[in-house]
Amino acid sequence: MTQAAATAQSSFVILQVGERRLALPAAIVAELSPPVRMHSFPHDTPSILGVIVRRGHVVPVYDAASAIGIPAPSVQRFFLITRRRFGKSREFGAIPVNGDCELTVGEMRPPAADRPSCVAGMLPFGDELLDVFDLDALMTSSSPDIAEASEVRG
Amino acid sequence: MPVREPAARTTPKSAPRRARQPETVVLFYVANQMFAIAADAVQEIRSTDSLAGSAIEIDQIEIGKVRHTVERGHRTYFVLNAGMHFGLPVTRPTLVLILRKLRVAVLIDRIERMAEIYGVHPLPLAFAGDERRWYRGLAQIDDLVIPVIRPDGFLSEEEFRTLDLAAQGATAKPPLEGTAST
Repeated sequence: MTQAAATAQSSFVILQVGERRLALPAAIVAELSPPVRMHSFPHDTPSILGVIVRRGHVVPVYDAASAIGIPAPSVQRFFLITRRRFGKSREFGAIPVNGDCELTVGEMRPPAADRPSCVAGMLPFGDELLDVFDLDALMTSSSPDIAEASEVRG
Repeated sequence: MPVREPAARTTPKSAPRRARQPETVVLFYVANQMFAIAADAVQEIRSTDSLAGSAIEIDQIEIGKVRHTVERGHRTYFVLNAGMHFGLPVTRPTLVLILRKLRVAVLIDRIERMAEIYGVHPLPLAFAGDERRWYRGLAQIDDLVIPVIRPDGFLSEEEFRTLDLAAQGATAKPPLEGTAST
């Protein structure tokens, strides 16, 4: 692979959330964790389901399905552990996934005009064109906007 | 899918703050949700029945979680419904935690037990709502992760001011016609 090709292509993790397949930049993915017990308690932050304990850390569990505006998965197989940056701090976050995750290399295309702002780009994957999400933007977006965009796209 | 360990330099600082000495907490339930509060933040635990006769209703609707005051040791405590505070389903509280340094008496369902904790995990930064005011952090007790309450998160200074004004009105209000004892 030439230097130019190497810089143009990046690694992505393909994950299944509910009935939707989507992609995240591999750089923010730490590991795939077994479905350990989730603990919930009262809070009023949207799109957080609770916390899990992983390797001694308390890790918030993101309600990615709700953030995307799709029904919650009925079966949960793993937690995808991601890293997020909050100012100068970094923190792990877990996304419940209900299918296998795949690591792939590809060239991200600019997002279509109808995609919500939390979609950083589009990734060709097999016959599909998957949304590559900006996790920070996804977790702070309002889900109705995203749900609307998902419906428009079909 | 490869499993990659997070690099040491990027490991977030979410490990519990280890206390040199264990801290004793009271574990209690509100609407089937367990909470912890530092034992030294609690002055007294009473049954709601024992306070029923001394509770004074205050006339205010701004702060729905507080409906009454009680007098304890020449201080007026605001009786706060913990279920309403945390947005939990309405229950029938049976106990009151009377706090030590704050004029708050918290209605709860039941005490589970006392426990010792050796550290409190900071609340993850992803939590960005009122819970940052409600909780000091999270404690691991047995196999559970329990929110540790911040006692001064029950009522803000502004809420205290509002309630003080309402309570003054309640004590200054003349008895309704026909209700005064003769």
